[in-house]
Amino acid sequence: MAGLLSNALFFVSFSGQQFAPWLNLALFVLPVILFIVGLRRATAQPQVYRGKIGGWIFTVLSILLLGLTGFVFFVSRALPASAASPQIGQKAPEFTLADTNGQTVSLAQLLAGPNPATRPKAVLLVFYRGYW
Amino acid sequence: MRPVAISVDTPEQSRDLCQKAGYTFPFLSDPNTEVIRRYHLLHAGAAPDRHDISRPAEFLVDSTGTVRWTNFTEDVRVRVRAEEMLAAARAIH
Repeated sequence: MAGLLSNALFFVSFSGQQFAPWLNLALFVLPVILFIVGLRRATAQPQVYRGKIGGWIFTVLSILLLGLTGFVFFVSRALPASAASPQIGQKAPEFTLADTNGQTVSLAQLLAGPNPATRPKAVLLVFYRGYW
Repeated sequence: MRPVAISVDTPEQSRDLCQKAGYTFPFLSDPNTEVIRRYHLLHAGAAPDRHDISRPAEFLVDSTGTVRWTNFTEDVRVRVRAEEMLAAARAIH
């Protein structure tokens, strides 16, 4: 029974979310440990653990779910490649966009700074996803 | 070194964000992803409402307009380390 219960914990791990990468990993690793323990206990004492067929069905389902969880964990990091983005040594493409006051600002203006005396050494363009 | 943030958010949305968070550097709006595409950062359909947005990336650009450091966050859960950015900025003479 303990074997069945520990295998059922995979269904809990499937809800592992993006709170923090380490939490996602913990939710992935913990069921693996419990799965191994459950499997060993279920197979080691057949006279104690009845319903071995049910146990094996759960085991197969757990393996599938474990694979899916792992797949989601690793694939969720995928982002589109940006090989064509400006690389070190290349010129940053010019642009003109509106700021929070509705004023249009160009890259050249940003690089020049608000006044010549305090011209910035560099500008850090931070592209972010938005929707905050 | 002066940060400039760019996203598809409208000026109004960015203004709200700046006021709440206390940011004082420029926030620019690229709602049509024109500049995002020019920098090859388009992440099609990735917004909560399925609109196109930018993938996260940073470019350190010196006064001549040359890119001196880049960071393409491969993992959205990993934030760029401030030390790396500052080291790159200090290296610019």
